Amino acid sequence: MSFPKKPGSKALDVLQNLPRISLANLRPEPGAKKTAPRRGRGQHGGNRSGRGHKGQRQRGNRPRLGFEGGQTPFYLAIPKYGFNEGHSRRPQYQPLSLKRLQYLIDLGRVDTTQPIDLTQLVNARGVTIQPLKRDYGVQLVDEGEDIFAAKIHIEVQRASEGAIAAIERNGGVITTSFYDPISLGIVIKPVPFFLRGQPIPKRMLPGQDMVPYYTDAGNRGYLADCEKIQQARLALAQKYGYILPDISKDELYHMLSMRKDVRQIFFGLAPGWVVNMSEKKILKPTDEKLLKYYSS
Amino acid sequence: MAAHIVRRCYLFSRPAAAVNVNALRRIKPHRVLVADVNASQPSVGYGTRDSDLAQDSQVHIPVDRLTVSYSRSSGPGGQNVNKVSTKAEVRFHVHTADWIPEDVRQKIFEKNKSRINKAGQLLVTSELSRSQHRNLSDCIQKISAIIADASKKPHEPSAEDVALRAERLDKRNKERLKQKKIHSTMKQSRRVDFD
Repeated sequence: MSFPKKPGSKALDVLQNLPRISLANLRPEPGAKKTAPRRGRGQHGGNRSGRGHKGQRQRGNRPRLGFEGGQTPFYLAIPKYGFNEGHSRRPQYQPLSLKRLQYLIDLGRVDTTQPIDLTQLVNARGVTIQPLKRDYGVQLVDEGEDIFAAKIHIEVQRASEGAIAAIERNGGVITTSFYDPISLGIVIKPVPFFLRGQPIPKRMLPGQDMVPYYTDAGNRGYLADCEKIQQARLALAQKYGYILPDISKDELYHMLSMRKDVRQIFFGLAPGWVVNMSEKKILKPTDEKLLKYYSS
Repeated sequence: MAAHIVRRCYLFSRPAAAVNVNALRRIKPHRVLVADVNASQPSVGYGTRDSDLAQDSQVHIPVDRLTVSYSRSSGPGGQNVNKVSTKAEVRFHVHTADWIPEDVRQKIFEKNKSRINKAGQLLVTSELSRSQHRNLSDCIQKISAIIADASKKPHEPSAEDVALRAERLDKRNKERLKQKKIHSTMKQSRRVDFD
């Protein structure tokens, strides 16, 4: 009565003494839910019931959608063209904006001290990839390049020029690499794959139409020439007007220069190995035919 | 075909890849990233007649020598245009820019009087896109276009061209004299001489 109580404590006391909230003791505020007027009832809903006066309108006999009274309708007058032809066979790439990537890094969902892979992005629930819907991976989009400020080593499947510039401007490394659909399914869900007990397969090389993209240094393709990539980095720095930071002087240089082999799906695991999750063991093939196959 | 490219670029032996995890983890050494940035910059060169294809590679624009400032763009765009500074403005003092050759500097000064302010600084702005970085890139492209334009040299005719021109002049003269003679004989044949 004389000593001051904490603000909000009255409400807390009340809350503690009241019964638990359930559907039985909830109701909306009076006046919050207004019943809609029904057709065919009352002075305003009745009489013609909002259907108009006589004709097709009132009698419910209007022609189909798109009919223009006999004139060749728009959807038939325009000639067909194969805009969407083969759309279900086209590779799709889930976009990942730099804004979202910065958001994930800021919240600590993605670890910047390790190379950021598609596996890491999916583990962080940053992107959702559906390999069965013709997704071939993730593409880096340059929305948010103005606010992006993180030094990372990232590997995506496609990247726009502005996104590459934004990452290299902050001293990071970006690579574009190809995952065939089976490898993609393994990359996004590694644990279910390991539980299958199958050996890790070799990652396949890209098809003919994707080879030019992945051998181009301007796209930082994983099949491109190393010297050309360095020249491309300089050219991009010139174009976008920033000074290219020297990565070799960085303390994380070891991490930034880590690269996967062309046939490798996971860092630290080679094709042909079997991972036993329950016993926490890795089984490696010893037969020379298998070794020859998996190292080709 | 792609596999061959791979073998050239990666510097460890392939057959041992299945066993040796460490070799798979990284390319060793990643020479690309170790190279000194300054050493691999392209050298300054004059723009030739066909310089439109390789403008940026002719003169290297040192970004740290330019003064870049950002401000808000004009035009419609609602909240985005009101709040975000996307207009990029680049300026540099023309006469002290020693990364441009002297005569090119002079030409820039003469040709772009409207872009040069009282202090002698060349001013280039861009509010082409919604992004600061893209606008900066546009400014740099404009600067390199100005430099390329100023370093254009009048086309000197080659020895073949000179010989061709002399030959054509000769022919022209000869033809003219021939026509003159024909005309003269025609006129003479019409003349009637009363002896």
